[in-house]
Amino acid sequence: MPLRIVVLTKPVPDPAAAAERLGADGRLDRAASPAVINGNDEYTLEASLKLVEAHGGEVTLLSMAPASGIETLRKGLAMGAHRGILVTDPALAGSDQWSTVQVLAAALRELEYDLVLAGFDTSDGVGGVVGAAIATMLRLPYLSSAAKIEPDPDACTVRVRRISPTGFDVLEAPMPALIVGTQLLGEPRYPSLKGIMAARSKEVVTKSLADLELDAKAVGGAASRSKVTGTTKPPARGATQVVRGTPEEGAKAIADLLASRRLI
Amino acid sequence: MTEPTPTGYRLTEEQTLLRDTIRTLAFEQIAPRAAEIDRSGEFPEDVRQLLAGQDVLALPYPVEHGGLGADLLTQCLAIEAIAHACVTSSLILSVQALASLPLLLGGTKEQHERFFPDLASGKVLAAFALTEPEAGSDAAALRTRAVRDGDSYRISGTKRFITNGSVAGLITVFAVTNPDAKRHARISAFAVEVPADGFKVARLEHKLGIRGSPTAELTFDDVRVPASNLIGAEGDGWKLALGTLDRSRPGIAAQAVGIAQGALDAAAQYARERKQFGQRIGEFQMIQAMLADMDARTEAARQLTYKAATEVEAGAHDATRWASVAKLVAGDTAMAVTTDAVQVLGGYGYTDDYPVERMMRDAKITQLYEGTQQIQRLVIARALLGKPD
Amino acid sequence: MAAAKGTIWVVAETNADGSLAKSSTEVATLARTLAEAAGASAAAIVVASDPKAAAAELARYVGRVVAVAEPKAAGHAWAQVAAQRAAAILASETPAAILTGAGPDGRDVAGTLATLLERPVLVNATAVAWKDGGPSVEMSVFGGKLVTTSSLVDGEWGIVTVRPNVVTAEEAGSIGEVEDVASSGDLELPLVKIVDQVSEAAAALPIEEARIIVAGGRGVGGPDGFALVQELADALGGAVGATRAAVDSGWIPYNQQIGQTGKIVKPQLYLALGISGAIQHKVGMQTAGTIVGVNRDPDAPIAEFADLVVVGDLFEVGEALLAELKRR
Repeated sequence: MPLRIVVLTKPVPDPAAAAERLGADGRLDRAASPAVINGNDEYTLEASLKLVEAHGGEVTLLSMAPASGIETLRKGLAMGAHRGILVTDPALAGSDQWSTVQVLAAALRELEYDLVLAGFDTSDGVGGVVGAAIATMLRLPYLSSAAKIEPDPDACTVRVRRISPTGFDVLEAPMPALIVGTQLLGEPRYPSLKGIMAARSKEVVTKSLADLELDAKAVGGAASRSKVTGTTKPPARGATQVVRGTPEEGAKAIADLLASRRLI
Repeated sequence: MTEPTPTGYRLTEEQTLLRDTIRTLAFEQIAPRAAEIDRSGEFPEDVRQLLAGQDVLALPYPVEHGGLGADLLTQCLAIEAIAHACVTSSLILSVQALASLPLLLGGTKEQHERFFPDLASGKVLAAFALTEPEAGSDAAALRTRAVRDGDSYRISGTKRFITNGSVAGLITVFAVTNPDAKRHARISAFAVEVPADGFKVARLEHKLGIRGSPTAELTFDDVRVPASNLIGAEGDGWKLALGTLDRSRPGIAAQAVGIAQGALDAAAQYARERKQFGQRIGEFQMIQAMLADMDARTEAARQLTYKAATEVEAGAHDATRWASVAKLVAGDTAMAVTTDAVQVLGGYGYTDDYPVERMMRDAKITQLYEGTQQIQRLVIARALLGKPD
Repeated sequence: MAAAKGTIWVVAETNADGSLAKSSTEVATLARTLAEAAGASAAAIVVASDPKAAAAELARYVGRVVAVAEPKAAGHAWAQVAAQRAAAILASETPAAILTGAGPDGRDVAGTLATLLERPVLVNATAVAWKDGGPSVEMSVFGGKLVTTSSLVDGEWGIVTVRPNVVTAEEAGSIGEVEDVASSGDLELPLVKIVDQVSEAAAALPIEEARIIVAGGRGVGGPDGFALVQELADALGGAVGATRAAVDSGWIPYNQQIGQTGKIVKPQLYLALGISGAIQHKVGMQTAGTIVGVNRDPDAPIAEFADLVVVGDLFEVGEALLAELKRR
């Protein structure tokens, strides 16, 4: 039986470009550096593509982002996803997690799916709470920190391997379910060039807040309940001492430093 | 997104994604191999498989035959991105395109159906055999002979400096079919499938650079080729060769731009890290001046190359001049920028601890093949001044 | 000061054996500190199939502990079960703030509570102060290049997830009250069954709670090389960590991976063996108190931010260090 999978993705400033900065309002300046798919979303996207290759079905990308987010959706389509949905609205700039959760939940309510996959966290927000919040809002079974995802479409259940401090647990729940993944799901593929060319004919739908029947006063930047009150640079660490010489000299230097800092 | 206009270009969203994907691929999978490929001098079969598997080799071919139908600018973006990491690897793509151009320009539908699918999938590599021991810059003086015999031709002669000659399965061979005709009308082009009786890879060159790319001397001793492998009509060879060069020279220019950028990036990174006299050498004005000039020259070469590719693709009447100008400028830029990169790294740049000495050696070929810089100047001057009466 | 401005609540976590998670002792200490600053009180909720041991320990950190015995907390994915029971209790309280850990379970609780209670969340706090009637939260962003301070908009209260190891656990000096509560009412959210539990290598302390970490990278060369890393960790009383390269090569489990796609740690000592210090790893450990690197390459990026770099072979230096430590 084919699987219908929705993958939540978010464009983030490219961490490799190291050009992220905050704007004057204390919010991330998304125009300051090129955007890429959030690194952790690539693992869940890869997992979803492998699953539909094995079981049949389709992968839909869902993203809440500025209009430029359409480019990162295209990359996901080039990797093999079948269609994309971009929720974009000027009122959403500066949204906090609560807004994000409401918007994505509203978008998901319009879709039919067996699985919703979310990345472990985002490199620009690093929160990791959105998955649980959405699952709760939609009353979906919630399985997190997945290292392996094994759906049984005929039984309409899914099993997930969740890393634990002592090894791993195997969780099971009925579908539809929401799963948060980890890097252990496997290395993402490069978009093939054929995939890139094919992406241009795949469907990308944009939705505004009005399309989702959400009120811009209740959701979005204006409704944000948190604010950045200040920024500082972390304290400089101080000069690095470099020791060359015999291993014994190196060992002594280390032990002396640890002793001076009461670590041994 | 904006379509390329006749007077300029803008990269489409798709071209940008394609370029970025190949850049990432080259950085992650090919760059780590580059030093070893140069050191061992072995053809990188793994990179060939990688490029084939990622559809990179499909770029130059029509979609209906398994290709991606990419325009010339897109192919240039791909070549540049790979050359940035490893020039030998970029040749796998650029020679595949070069050798297929006579078929693309003059081949029949039947020939396209027969040859392109395996070329596009990378299952078969192609080579371009024009040059001979006695016919380099003076290519029209070539002597390899193709004699009609029933429903095939017998080809005999020697070709020299043929890139991929020892790994190709399809070789585009230029040979004389009519020795008595006027100079250029003597020559025809053939698609020769190898291995074949009478075909031999006589030797491989030991080169200054692009050391992982097999550069072969090929001997043809009465090699039988079906008449259906003649490309175009008898006597079309020279025209096909010239049409090919118009489209392949921007690719070499792109390769040179990639080499220059790779060298610039390595030099800039070094300048950020290396400390002498109590500070990073990047603080010294002489280093800054060199790096700035390297950047400006590379960018100029790049923009010229992209523009030339756009003009050639659009069928401009002066496409030949565009292709030569780009190749001339970019080749000289690569040589200058890589030499300066070694200079910035000083003594370390002279050793193989750093990649710039390899880039400098690799850059030299862009001033030599597909028409030496001197030939490019003749072409450009002729376009400026018109043919002699 | 008299009538509290509400209570600062902690939702605590337990280990597999029912004992209180170390991170929860830190979060509870933080709750108490903030409560003192706020003129409020601090309390904690612990939900487990048998919460007695954890509750007793929690009571050494805060004045009031609500221990919820919930049989379904065993055999099912814990976080949403715990969050629902916590929400039911908090619904009849006046929270000034809710604190959870920022680890996988803590954030799952925070996310679930955020929806159940319709509250905003401030995430991954590396420091929390009490300002203007609410939490003022510091967070490290942009791969460590910047520290932002955030708070909630006027009149709002919410949830804060707190990184491990940013607060030193300190007992209150008196024992708080434990209220035992039996869970009542149905759980509305779908339960996720645990159908199997597999133990792999014996887990030591979760790495993000370790005070000292000795980590190995590509330079360690293989699983056998990690024996030295373990010996040094044992000699220093610390835990073993690793870079992504070592984990991807299969030399060490993912649980011990430190970096952008692994854990972010803030130990007092980070000893990096054969680790280049590239950005993806750096973001996982750059706020450690003391950073020492052993590397053959004097120009490795780690030399830009370590306190001490010893240039040499990590095995030779490692053995010499073991000998040196034995002598002291």
